[in-house]
Amino acid sequence: MSSAEPGPARAIGERAPLGSPSGEGESRHPSLGISLLVSELSVIYRRPRTWALLAALAAVPILIAVAVRLTDDGPQPGRGPPFLDSITNNGLFVGFTALVVCIPLFLPLTVGVVAGDTIAGEAGHGTLRYLLIVPAGRVRLLLVKYVGAAIFCLSATLTIVLAGTVIGFALFPLGDVTLLSGDTIGPGESTLRLLLVAGYVTVSLLGLSAVGLFISTLTDVPVGAMAATIVIAVASQVVGALPQLAWLHPWLLSNHWLGFGDLLRQPISWDSFGANALLQLGYIALFGALAYGRFTTKDVLS
Amino acid sequence: MTVAGTGLAIETRGLSKRFGHQDAVDDVDLTVPAGTVFGFLGPNGSGKTTTIRMLLGLASATRGEATVLGQELPGALSSVLPRIGALVEGPAFYPFLSGTANLMRLDSADRYASGSTRRSRVDAALDRVGLTHAAGKRVKAYSLGMKQRLGLASALLSPRELLVLDEPTNGLDPQGTREVRNLIRSFADDGATVFVSSHLLSEVEQMCTHAAIMSAGRLVAQGGLDELRRVGDAHVTVVTPDAERARRRLAAFGFVTDEPAEGSGRVRATVAVEAAAAPESIVAALVADGVRVRGFTVEQVTLEERFVALTGEGFDVVR
Amino acid sequence: MVRSSLRWMPAVLVPLVIGTGVVVAGASPVVTLEEKTPEQVLALVAASDVRSFSGTIQQTSRLGLPEFPSTDSGSDSTTDSVASALELITGAHEARVFVDGPQRARVQITENLAERDVIRSGSEVWTYDSEAKEATHLTLPDKTAAHDSPAWTPGEIAARALAAVTPSTEVSLDPASRVAGRSTYELVLTPRTEDTLVGSVTIAVDSESGMPLAASVHARGESAPAFRVAFTAIDLAAPAARLFAFTPPAEATVKEESVPDAALPGTLDARDLRSAVPPFGVSGSDWSTVVELPSGSAPPELLASPLFASLATPVDGGKLLGSALLNVLVTDDGRVFAGAVPLNVLQDAAANR
Repeated sequence: MSSAEPGPARAIGERAPLGSPSGEGESRHPSLGISLLVSELSVIYRRPRTWALLAALAAVPILIAVAVRLTDDGPQPGRGPPFLDSITNNGLFVGFTALVVCIPLFLPLTVGVVAGDTIAGEAGHGTLRYLLIVPAGRVRLLLVKYVGAAIFCLSATLTIVLAGTVIGFALFPLGDVTLLSGDTIGPGESTLRLLLVAGYVTVSLLGLSAVGLFISTLTDVPVGAMAATIVIAVASQVVGALPQLAWLHPWLLSNHWLGFGDLLRQPISWDSFGANALLQLGYIALFGALAYGRFTTKDVLS
Repeated sequence: MTVAGTGLAIETRGLSKRFGHQDAVDDVDLTVPAGTVFGFLGPNGSGKTTTIRMLLGLASATRGEATVLGQELPGALSSVLPRIGALVEGPAFYPFLSGTANLMRLDSADRYASGSTRRSRVDAALDRVGLTHAAGKRVKAYSLGMKQRLGLASALLSPRELLVLDEPTNGLDPQGTREVRNLIRSFADDGATVFVSSHLLSEVEQMCTHAAIMSAGRLVAQGGLDELRRVGDAHVTVVTPDAERARRRLAAFGFVTDEPAEGSGRVRATVAVEAAAAPESIVAALVADGVRVRGFTVEQVTLEERFVALTGEGFDVVR
Repeated sequence: MVRSSLRWMPAVLVPLVIGTGVVVAGASPVVTLEEKTPEQVLALVAASDVRSFSGTIQQTSRLGLPEFPSTDSGSDSTTDSVASALELITGAHEARVFVDGPQRARVQITENLAERDVIRSGSEVWTYDSEAKEATHLTLPDKTAAHDSPAWTPGEIAARALAAVTPSTEVSLDPASRVAGRSTYELVLTPRTEDTLVGSVTIAVDSESGMPLAASVHARGESAPAFRVAFTAIDLAAPAARLFAFTPPAEATVKEESVPDAALPGTLDARDLRSAVPPFGVSGSDWSTVVELPSGSAPPELLASPLFASLATPVDGGKLLGSALLNVLVTDDGRVFAGAVPLNVLQDAAANR
C-alpha cells in the first residue's frame, strides 16, 4: 500500500479528525497520560469493590465511637489503643484512634487489594492486552497504575479521618486537643495535625503499593497478588516485633508505620516523617525498578 | 507509510516463539499484501494467536523479525500500534463498566486520541457495530455476541490501516457470524488490510482474498485463495468409446492418465492444477480429434482437501 | 535479548545506589579541623558558653543486660516519680531536649505514640506522662534551684568524665569527626589501670562552641560503645519560651509533690552517695572504685525474684550480676559490692572486709 495511492491508503474507522492515519506520527501530539489517569481513577472508583473497601474502613471509627459512647464510665488511660481515653473529651480523637487501629491490618489489607490488582487484575480481565495494543505504553501504564494506587491510599486514610471526624462530632464534644507532650492546641491546629497524620499514613502505604505493583506484574491471578502483598505487610510487622532481628528493623517496610506520634508533639518533630518518607522512597525505587524490569519484558499471554 | 516500499502490510522473516522446550511458532515467513482480507488459518493450537501476539508486541519473538505497516518491530511498536485495530483471543472488558465506559477507557489510553472527539468517536463506533441500544448497559449483562461486537467497536475507535482480528466469529450464532462477516467486508471496502485468524475454513473461504495455513507452529502454505486452490492436482474423467485417442490428446495437455480399466470407456487423468488448461478447451480439443465425448468431469480440489493434506490433522470444517 | 536485559538494569542499579548511599552515609566522615592538643580542647570545653539550645539526644546501651536494674526500693511514691525519670535515661531512648539557661529546661522522652516530659522553669518542675495522663508538680528547694541543668546531657557526662582527669587517666585525641552535623574534636580518656571494665571514654566536642555533643563509654576489648549519649540534631538558638510554660491538660490527673534533698538527680557519684546515704562504703579509687552496701541493704524481694535468679551467675563467695560496664556482687552473707571493675576486684574487696 502506498501512501501515494489515494485508494488503498484510506483507512477505515470514523472520519479521521487527525488527517491521514498513515500521516506521520510526528505531526500528532501525544498526551501526557492525564486522561489515562482520569480513566484509571474512574475504573477504580466505579468499582463496587472499591466502595466496599472504603465502607469497611469507615466502619472502624464509627464502631469505635459508638462503643466508647455506649460504655458507661469510658475507657481508662493507658488501656486499649492510644488516644482511646481521649475520645470522650474530644471527638477529633476518633480519627486518630481509628488510624492507629487500622494501620497494622485494615489499611494494608485494602491497599494490598488495590495494589495487587493493578496489573494482575487487568490481566485477569483480559483488558491488559487491549490496553497494550491501544497502545497505552507499558511504562506509562505502570506509572498510571501506581499513581492510581497511591491516590487510593490517600482516599483510604482520608475516609477513616473523615468518618472519624463526622462521627466524633456527632457523639462527642469538640474541644482542645491534648498533644503527647501534654500541651493543648485549638480545633484549627488540631485539624491541621489530623491531616498531617493522614498524610503520614498515606506516605507509609506508598512503599507497600510499590511492592503490590511489582507482585502484580508477576501473575495473571489478581487474588494471588493481593494475598502476597498483604502477607508481606503482615510479615514485615511480625519481623519488626522480633528483637532478635533488630538489625533488620530499619529496613522494614512497616518500621515507621506507627511513627506519626512525632506529629503530635510540641513542637512538631519531622524526624520520623523524613525517615519514613526516605524509607518508602527506597521501596518505591526498588520495587518500581523491579516492576519496570518485569513488566516491560513480560509476554502478555492472558 | 513505508508500506509503499513493499506493498506489504505484514511481513515476518523466520519469526519464532519458544515456550520452554516447545516451539509455539517456528520459523514463520508471513507475507500479507496490503489491502487484502487475509485469512490466517489453522487448527486450534497451531500458533496463530501466538503469532498475532508477537505482531502486536504483546509477546516478544524468540527469533526472527517482523515488519508491520512498513515498520520494524518491536522498535516501532509505539508508532505502529495506533494504526492497528485488533481483537485478540476474544473480547475482554471490565464487567462492571458500561459498553460506552469501556470504550472511553480504551480510547483514553491512546495517547494520540483527542479527548474532545472521544465521545463522538465512541458513539460512532458503537453505532457501526449496532450496539447503540446497549451502550449504557454494563458489559456483564452483554451476550457473547454483543461483547464480540463491542470488541470490534474498540478496534474502530480511530482510523486504522490494519485490522488484526483473532477468531472474530468465535462463539457467535449464525446470525452474529453473518453480521461480523459483513462488517469485515465493509472494513475491507474502506481500504484497510484485514488480517483474520480462524480455525474455520468455510469462514476464510467466504471472507478472504488471501490466506496462510498454520500447522503445529509452522507456516505450511500462503497466497491468494485461488493460488492455494490451484496448488496440487486436478483430475478429469472422460467417458468415451475412443479411449486410446482421448488418452493421447490428454497427454498432449500434460495429463498423466491412469491405467485403462478394460472396457469401462472411462479415462481418468491427472495434472498439476497450475498446468491445467481450461475444461472447455480440453473438450474442444478432444472433439476436434474425433473423440466422442459422452461425459466429461472435472474434479476441483477443495481448499479443505488441500488443508487436510497440509496439516495432516482433523479440521473443524463443520461448525 | 539485549533489549530485555537492559530493562532489568534499573532493578540492579537501584539497590546498588541505595547500598552505596548507606555505606557513604555510615562511613566515618573525613573532617579536617585546626590541630589542637587535648589541653586546648579541654580549654575549649571550659570556655564554652552555650546556655540555650534545642536538640535531639539518642542514648543507646549495649550492656549485655535487658535493662539497667532499678536501684530504687520503691518504698514511697515521692522517690518513685524521680526514679521513673532516672529509669527513662537508662534504657535505649530518644529524647528531645530544650534548654534555655540554667533555670529553664524541657526534656521529652519520645516513644511511639507516647511521650514523657520533664519541664523545669525556675523552681517549678512538671512531669507529664501521656500514657497514664498523669502530671506531677514539684517545687524544688532553693538549694537545688541553683544547680545546673539536669545531669544527663552530654555536657554533664562530659564534665563528669573531665573531672576524673587525674594521673589515673590518659587523655588523647582521636581524628576529628562529625556529630549532629557539626564537626567535633574527639577527646579520648583511657584508664591507666587494668582494674576496670571501662576501656575508654570518648567525648565529642563541638569545634565551634566547645559544647560536648556526644559521650560514649567503651567496655574493655569492645569496639562498639557499651553506652552512648549523643545529639542527633542540635540547634544552638534559644527555644521558644512557651515550651517551658506548662499547663497540665484538663483531663490529666495532677499530683502535687515536694522533693526530699536526698533523692535529687545528680547524686550518682560515689562520694555523693556516701555522704547522702551514710551506710555505704567505698574502696578503691577512680576507675576501680568499688561501692559496698552492708548486709541487708539489698531488698530481699529483689534477691528472691526470679528475674534476679535468671540474671545472676553463681561465683566464688556469692552471686554476680554482670554487664559490660558494671559488675555487682551479692555475697552469700547479703553484702553488695558494685563497680565498673572485673569480678576479682569485687571478690578481693569482699574478702578484705
